[in-house]
Formats: sequence, C-alpha cells, structure tokens
Amino acid sequence: MSGASRRAKALVVGLALTVVSLAGCGASAVTVNKSTATFAEQPGAAPNYIFPLASLKYFSVANLTQFQFLMYRPLYWFGENGQVKLNPQLSIANPPTFSSDGKAVTVTLKQWVWSDGQPITSRDVEFWQNLVTANKLNWAAYSPGEYPDNVISTTINSPTSITFNLSRAYGTYFFTYNELSQITPLPQHLWDKEAVTGSVGDFDKTPAGAVAVFKFLDQQSGMISTYDTNPLWRVVSGPWKLKHMDTSGNVKMVPNNAYSGPVKPKLTEFDEIPFAKDTSEYNQLKASTSVASTAVDYGYLPFQDVPQKNALSSIYTFVPWSGWLITYFPENFTNPRSGPIFKQLYFRQAMQDLVDQTTFIKRAYFGFAYPTHGPVPLKPATNFADQVEQANPYPYSPKAAVSLLQQNGWTVNPNGISTCASPGTGAGQCGAGVGAGAQASFKLEYASGLPALDAEMAQLKSDFALAGIELNLSTAPFNTVVGNSVPCVAGQACTWDMECWGGGWIYSPDYYPTGDEIFSTGAGSNSGGFSDPMNDQLTLASEVSNDVSALHAYEDYLATALPVVWLPTIYSQLSEVNTHLQGTQPQDPLLQIYPENWSWS
Amino acid sequence: MLGYIVRRLLQAVLITLGVTLVVFLLLHIIPGGSVARAILGPRANALQIAQFNRDNGLDQALPVQYITYLGQITGFGSLFAGHGWQINLGYSYKLNQSVASILVQDIPRTMLLVGVSTALAIVVAVPLGIYQAVRRNRIDDYVLTAASFIFYSMPIFWLGIILIVIFAGGLLHVLPSEGPQGTTFGDVLSELPALILPVASLSLVTIASFSRYMRSSTIENMVQDYVRTARAKGASNSRVLFVHVLRNAMIPLLTLIGLSIGFIFSGALITEALFNYPGMGYRFWNAAQSQDYPVILGIIIVAALATVIGNLLADVMYAVADPRVRYSK
Amino acid sequence: MRIPPPAAALPLHGETTAEVQDIAPAYESRGVWRLALDVFVQNRLAVVGVGIVVFMVLFCFVGPIFYRTDQLTTDLNNQFLAPGAGHLLGTDNLGFDVIGRLMIGGQTSLEVGLAAALIATTFGVLWGAVAGFWGGVVDALMMRLVDVVLSIPALFLLLFLAVAFEPVDLPKLILVVAITAWLIPARLIRGEALTLRTREYVEAVSMMGGRGSRIVLRHIIPNTVGTIMVNATFQVADAILLVAGLSFLGLGIPPPATNWGAMLSDGVTYVYDGWWWLIYPAGAAIVLTVVAFNFIGDALRDALEVRLHRR
Repeated sequence: MSGASRRAKALVVGLALTVVSLAGCGASAVTVNKSTATFAEQPGAAPNYIFPLASLKYFSVANLTQFQFLMYRPLYWFGENGQVKLNPQLSIANPPTFSSDGKAVTVTLKQWVWSDGQPITSRDVEFWQNLVTANKLNWAAYSPGEYPDNVISTTINSPTSITFNLSRAYGTYFFTYNELSQITPLPQHLWDKEAVTGSVGDFDKTPAGAVAVFKFLDQQSGMISTYDTNPLWRVVSGPWKLKHMDTSGNVKMVPNNAYSGPVKPKLTEFDEIPFAKDTSEYNQLKASTSVASTAVDYGYLPFQDVPQKNALSSIYTFVPWSGWLITYFPENFTNPRSGPIFKQLYFRQAMQDLVDQTTFIKRAYFGFAYPTHGPVPLKPATNFADQVEQANPYPYSPKAAVSLLQQNGWTVNPNGISTCASPGTGAGQCGAGVGAGAQASFKLEYASGLPALDAEMAQLKSDFALAGIELNLSTAPFNTVVGNSVPCVAGQACTWDMECWGGGWIYSPDYYPTGDEIFSTGAGSNSGGFSDPMNDQLTLASEVSNDVSALHAYEDYLATALPVVWLPTIYSQLSEVNTHLQGTQPQDPLLQIYPENWSWS
Repeated sequence: MLGYIVRRLLQAVLITLGVTLVVFLLLHIIPGGSVARAILGPRANALQIAQFNRDNGLDQALPVQYITYLGQITGFGSLFAGHGWQINLGYSYKLNQSVASILVQDIPRTMLLVGVSTALAIVVAVPLGIYQAVRRNRIDDYVLTAASFIFYSMPIFWLGIILIVIFAGGLLHVLPSEGPQGTTFGDVLSELPALILPVASLSLVTIASFSRYMRSSTIENMVQDYVRTARAKGASNSRVLFVHVLRNAMIPLLTLIGLSIGFIFSGALITEALFNYPGMGYRFWNAAQSQDYPVILGIIIVAALATVIGNLLADVMYAVADPRVRYSK
Repeated sequence: MRIPPPAAALPLHGETTAEVQDIAPAYESRGVWRLALDVFVQNRLAVVGVGIVVFMVLFCFVGPIFYRTDQLTTDLNNQFLAPGAGHLLGTDNLGFDVIGRLMIGGQTSLEVGLAAALIATTFGVLWGAVAGFWGGVVDALMMRLVDVVLSIPALFLLLFLAVAFEPVDLPKLILVVAITAWLIPARLIRGEALTLRTREYVEAVSMMGGRGSRIVLRHIIPNTVGTIMVNATFQVADAILLVAGLSFLGLGIPPPATNWGAMLSDGVTYVYDGWWWLIYPAGAAIVLTVVAFNFIGDALRDALEVRLHRR
C-alpha cells in the first residue's frame, strides 16, 4: 500500500472511531433490558430507621416517605395522580365513615394480607394505637391534644372494622387527612414481644407492656446491620420488602409477592444509593454514556448545574418535583432581646417587604422555585389555597419597609443599624418591650452546603440593610440549625434570633394544612414560639369544620399575621429520570415514590 | 537492636495512651455544656440529660471516667468484668450502631486507598528523584521540578475535580467519577478502574514531595566521599548509583514516609468525600456534618493508631538500614 | 494535605543522629543574613518567589484603593457575568466583581497564613527551645505531647475543632490552623537546642551564672533563626492550603467574608457550567502564592546547607 493511501486509510479509521466514540456519549435507540432501577438519595439524607413509630431523630422524608412506606403501608394513603387527595385504592381501609355528630369514626379494612399470609386486621390497628398512646412522648408526630389524645376509646367491631370515639366533634377533612393519616397498622402477630427470645403476646394491652414492646422494637430498629436477617422486618404490608441495607445508606428491595394492593412491582429489584455531596451524584449523571448503562436511573440535578440541564437531555428527562410544602424561616419570639421586636406586626411586615422573592427565584434558584405567601402551599393547585393567598399581600418594597419603620418610631439608617427613637406603646411608637435605642441587629444562622441558599441569604442581608436591619450571617450543618430552632426555655441561655435550614415544613402526614403543628401556641414544631390567640381560634375552627372555608379563614389571617418569614418554595428536587424508565410520572407532591409502577422500555 | 525496638515500642504505646487522653479531653471540651446535649439535641430537658449522664457514667469524676473509657477502647475493661475481650469504641446515636461495627467496613477501604497511593508514590518518586538528580540543572530537571512544585502547591480537591472533569465527566468518559462502591474486598477489586482517579489525586501530590526529597537526598549523597572511593575502585556509574547511593539516599525517605502517613490520611479525607468512596474519611466527614461525636472520636483514635504504627515501622526500618541509629537514646 | 518538607524529616528520637549534627550550626546571627542574602541574589527562583509574594501583598492590600468595587452589597441580578467591560474577570454567584473578590479574599488568606504561621512558629519555637534546653523529664514530657498531637492527622483534628466550636470566624480559624502547625517547629527547634546546649559557649554562659531563660532567649533561639525562617515560610504555604481544604469541606468563614480557598471551592460547584473565571483565577492565586513561598523556603534552606557544607 502506498504511503498516501495508508495515511488516508488511517484518517478514515480515525474519523470513524471519533464518530463512534462521540455517539457513545449520546443517546441510543435501544431497548433497555434491565429489571432493576436505582434511585439517588439526597446528600446526607440516607434512611436509618425501619420501625414506623419514629421519634424526632428519625422523622424524615428519607426514613418514612421514601423508605418505610414502601414496606409498611399507612392505613390511609394520600397522593393520587399528582394530587393531594385520599387515594382509596392504595389505602388498606375503605374511606372512613363519620357519625352524624362527628364524634365517632368507623374504619373498615379491606381484606389485605401481610406478606406471610396473615390478614391485616383491626387488631393490628389497635396494636399501633396502644403503642402510640403509651409512647407518645417518643413519637415525632405527637401534638398535645391531638391524636391519640383525642381518641377517648376504641371499639373493635370485627376483624375488619374498628371505631374511634373522639373527645370532640372533628371535621372530616382534618380528622381524615391529619389524624387517621398517622396510623400505620403493625403486624401484631409478630411484633408484640418484649424480647428477642420471648413469645408473642398481648403485651400492648397494658401501658407498661406497650412501653416495653416499643423499647424492644426501637432497639431492634436501631441496629441497621441486622436488618438483613432480623425476622421482625421480614413481614411487610407494602409492595416491597427489604433485601439488604447498610449503614452508609445503600438500600436494596425486592418485590413482596403477597402484596394485596392493585399494582404489583414489575421490576425485580429497587435500589437507593447514598451520596455525600450533590456534586458526586451529578458526576454520576454526567458520566453516563447511554440509557442502558446509567448508574443512577432516577437522580436529580443540583441547582447550581441548572444552566447545564440540556447536556443530559439525551439520556435523562428533566422533571422538577414540587412538594406539598412551604419554605420559611422562623424568628425567635422567646428571645428576651429580639423577641419583643419580632412581636410587633409592623416589624414583621417590614421584614417581609424586604424579601425579594422574585429575584431569589430567578437568580438563586434559576427559576425553579415559586413564591410563598402564606401557610398553604400554592403548588400543586388545590382548593385549599384561596385567592387571598395567591395575591401577594407583601410585595418586595424597601420603601414600604422603611416607611413602616419610620411610622412606628424607628430611626432608619440604611446600611447601618436602625434604632428605636420613640419607645412606648402608643401610636407611632415602637411597641411594648422595645426600649429606647433598641437595635435592629440580628443573628441569622443558616444551613451550610447549599450554594443557592448562600446566594439567597447574602442577598437577603443586602436587602435588609436597605432599611437598616443588620443581619449577622453564620452557617452550620443542617442538623445543627434544625436542632437549634427550638423555643427558649427559662433558665437556659437563649441565643438565637433567626434560624434558616433552607426548607420549611412539608405537610405530611398532616396533609390538611391547618398548621396546627407549626403555628399553634405551644405546638411541637413551633420553632419560634409564635403565639396568637386569633390564630389558635381559627386553627381550631378549621379542625372541627367540614368546610374548606374555615381553612381559608385561617390561612387569610396568617398570610397577613406573618408567623414566620416566608421564602420562595423551592422544588424539592429537579429530577433527572432515565428516558426509558416508565411509570415515574406524575411525581407525588407528598414526595412518595412508587417503584412498583416503574418499568423499562 | 532488640533494645532499640523495645524502646520504640514502649514509646509508641505511651504515645497511643496519650492520644486516648487527648481524645477523652476533646470529648469533654465540647461547648454547650455536656456531651448529653450534643447527642440528645437542644430539645433535651434537664431530666433527660441527667438520665443520659447516669446511663453513660458521665456523672462520675473525670479520672474515673477516663479509666473506664480506657478500659472500653482497649477491651481490658470487659475482660476484667468477665465478658471476654470486647473493644468498645463508643456508640453512634445517629447511626444506631457501635462505632467499631461501623469502622470494621470502612477501615479496609481507606487502607486500600492509602496503601495503594503510598506504594505508587514510592514506586514512582524514587526513580523520578534519582533521574532528576542525575540530570540535574538540565532542562528536563527544570520541567519536572516545576511540575513538582505545581502539584505540591495545589489544593487536593482542585486536582481531583480537574481529573474528574478531564477523565470522567466532561471531556473523556473513560473512567468512573466515583470510587469503588463495593462492600466486600472482591467487589472492590472488580471495580478497579474506579480506584484510578482517587489514587491519582492522592498520590500525585505525594509523588511531587517525595521526588523532590529523593532528588536532593541523592544529590547530597552523590558528592560524598564514599562515592568517589567507589568510583576510584572501578565501579560503574550505574552500580554506584543503584547499589550505593540509592540505599543511602532512601534511608531518610523512610522516615519521611512514616511522618507523611498522617498527612496522607488527611488527604484521603478530602479524596473520599470528593469521590464518594465509603471509607473512614467519608464516614468522618458525614459524622462531622451531623455532630456524631462518638464516631468522630473513634475515627481519630484509629487514624492516630495507624500513624503511630506507621512511624514505628519507619523507625525500625531506619534502624535496620542505618546502624548508627540503633545506639541513640 | 501537606507532607513536611525534607528538612522536617527528623526521626522520632532525633537528638544525636548525624542529621541533626549537620543541620545545627552555631554561628553569629549577622553572618546568616549576609549569606542568605547572597544565596537569594544568586538563586533566581527565590527572587521570583519574593517577587510573587510582594505582588500578591500589593495586589490584595493596595489594589482595592485603585480598583474600587462594591464588595458588600450582593447583587444577584448581575451574577455569573462573563469577563468583559466593567468586570475584567466577570462576577461570581453573588454578583461581586471577581478581581475585587480576589483582593479581599487574598487579604484573608494571607492574613490567616501569616498570622497562623507567626503564632505557630512563636509557640513552637519556645516550646521546642525550652524542651531541648532543659532536657531530662521535662523534655521527654513536652516532646511526647508533641508526638501525640502529631499522631492525629491534622485535617481530622481541625474538622473536629471546627465542628465543636462552630460558628467559625476569622480569629477561630487562625487559632485552629495554628494548633496543628506549631508541632513541626517545636520538633525542629528542640533538636537544635539539644545540640546547641552542648556547645562550649553555652556552657560558658551557664557557668558564668546565666539564667536558663536568658540562655534560651538570647543564645539558643537566635542561633536557630535560619531553621525558623525556613520552616515559617513553609508554614504560610501550608496554612493557605489547609484553609482551602477546610472551605471545601464546608467549614470556612461565612459570607460576605471570603478567602481564596472558599472562592475556589465555591467556584468548583459550577465547574460544569463553564464559568472558568470562578475557578481558575482563585486557583492560580493559591498555587502561585504557595509556590512562591516554597521557592523562598527552598532557597533559604539551601543557604543554610551551603553554609554548613562550607564549614
């Protein structure tokens, strides 16, 4: 072969190889023959608890919604086709029937079975109830006065029917969506034990026994490395059962063939993978070369890589996931110094006027967030959110903020610190508890590791400075920030003014957004100690009424009363789903996943 | 020689005890009052804290606590109590497991990363240093020196990201962007390509430093009298280099390796977090995020122990190589 | 992650080995400076190093006077602008001009580096000198403590301290970095002090009734200045890299304060977006400065060794 043609041949071969390798980095029109699927966990949020009766430490989306629920189905399932609604088909019981006076509710179970063939009966529901009643202080969803306190007695009518007698007449929305929603039947015939070697009995029927049973199950659930072999966790009610789990957060599940529900899994295995940082997860997405070889099948795009989202489009579909939640950060009403300032409504209004949600959404979140104007989430659209909330009562206006402060006795020093010039409780004065010369300077601690939140907080600081409200920013790990957001207790140091963990509150399992767990006086998750009698009254009214208008009245009031500082609600994740993985849409607003619906094409 | 080893061993034991004391003190200087509050969280009330303290023996005098702690981590405590020899490095409340059971899986993975990186660094740096010494002040020496300086001065996470962008995510798709995720040793070995980038990030910096040292050490030796004597006796250049100079130049390198182990562990921390490699460093970083102090302190003890052992081995090898050392105090 | 430069590679027991004998000269302080200057002038790399450091100091501290940018007010509407008119190196994720950011970030990086090195060196030198001079049990105890803390990998200890004492601010950062940095100078100076105290003139002073502290301060330490200087320059380089590592792991100083390490690790999150101006300038600043200090340190060390080879 002559030199020239040899060179030409080499060139052609080289070109061909380049074309082939470039094509390898793109999509291919293949059929994906996989039967397993992998789901990426959020960074630092790996499941670590399998027992459905979880304490505060373990009460999270990672543990309940995206892990336990796949195996231990709640009595009532919420979430139907992307809507926040009771889903009768996926519930273990038929929709509840309320007595005419609203003081008794009867639950009729379907004839579903546990994975070992035993039927799911009212005894299993009673078992849950007894455990919760005796251990309510250890239960994260407990709010004094609410379930199980408001159930004065239960009657087992038959193996498939149970009636709860309530302490007062409750509205159907509230009691179904927020109270019955918290019940998960547990396999009494296997779990009613006090020790590993003991036998199963009716220990839960006495308070002391119920405490002992809980302690035993809690302790067993604490040993992640035994999950694979512990017989307790072999019996499930949901479509999946656990095959393997480790302390790093790797989870492998296989189908429960005895699942009684309408949809059985088509996959042979479902895995969840942990990641330390979202960069690592994104690297995995980027490294995929074809749809048939993705290490992560259902992952997410970190916010800071949104400008890049088209780079993955040949292999992944981009689907933002909006959750049934609101984003905010609390201010500390119990702080002796800053509390009195926060208690002044005009001051809270001024602060909200300085929150530029539009810019945050457009810049910090690259457009993937939506405004929050009140306690009820605006997405997905429900009849729970009314017009008042949808129209923003406090648009961004530094001028309005400045004049609010000035009209109430403050000397405004833009880019400095505003001070109270006329203390007192009269008109045009600062308000009760705000002394002369009180400074508008506060500490704001927020969760580290989220670039979008860094940008948001930095801009917030600059915007607040326009009215002379000084914010001293600091960061801490997410768990620390959440842990610090508690009302102050007398006798202990009270150091925080504002804490922002970058999230807010997801209405799950309190699906009917009455806010009774976050905004009522003394509620378990009322971080800042907000207390407003009118709000308490309206909240109670929304709980006992059968009409959504009571909820509207509550939400309209809070939208103007500003119990916390609203921030734009971010999409819970910007999902990247393998284009050949079917059955994943629409995404559930309660952040639940349905791998039993998934299949490969 | 034996006396020397025994003395070094005693010193190593003393130092390890010192580490346990320092770690114990660290646990008690956490501000915010008590260990209980760090573990139970700020919502804990006084009663719960008192209960926790009682349950964990934290209400006893400090020296008593230290002795108990020492007994736990060495295993002698349980031995004396008749339970057999059980090492208790603490209990993680966030992960609900004993620290020892968590680390049992993580330690081998970190050892693999650190071991391979160190071995690679030595294998590459020694010849590189000698080469540079032989070719000193020529153009290739300058180029290699410049490269060494640059790698040596680069933050290790930046190097790692550049490698990922070039080889895994951005330009070429030839290597995985994550470390091996397998649980058993066999699994990890089957994912060998995934180990390449983490090892490369960790060892490039080490190679830069070791090779500089080898270079200057070799140069120093090459001007010594014994080399001139060897040449005068008729030995060839390469014999002089590889038999005489190499052996002498490598001796101080041994100590350097021993001293470097601590730094390599620090580098492994960053590398594991970057490459999502579930070893001790990654675990430490997770624990730091969630303030899981038992895990944090347990890992510090293990890492310190590894460093002490590394130094001990380096000292012993140094003594084997350089007899003068055996007779020092 | 940093490996100690060869001069620090002393064996654990390092008192009477050949190494220490060689590196511990006893000479008048004046001579050192003269010789150092000579070697400096001859060693081109060192001159380059000094030039870079001087440039960086001027850039960071004098630069803002000439190149004014707003480094306090966040401006999200101008984030991620590419280099161009008005912003020669573009803007970052908060809308700050990158060159201005480099300047004030450099101020923090250099301050932390120099302050931590100063504190660590001072403390370490005193510790090592006292231990080496007194000898005996005091020496054994003090050096064992150094060994103990040295056995704990630096980044692990630093992470623990940062987590336990969060939130981290500038003084805490300096202190935390200094806590792990003083160990090497302590070891080095102790080795030197050990050999120095056997020198005749020291014994003479002691016999003439000189107090211990006087001997340590006036005779031992000044004669170890060479080693101190060499080590201190490496300390600065190490501190800058250590702070960068800490920022990457999420435990740096919160905004609007910044340092080169934080700029780099923040910029790196956007690596796939192609906004190179968020990454390479800060990275280059770190590498150049660290390299410069390494050049200087190397040259100083060569100066000492040349001196010892001439003896």
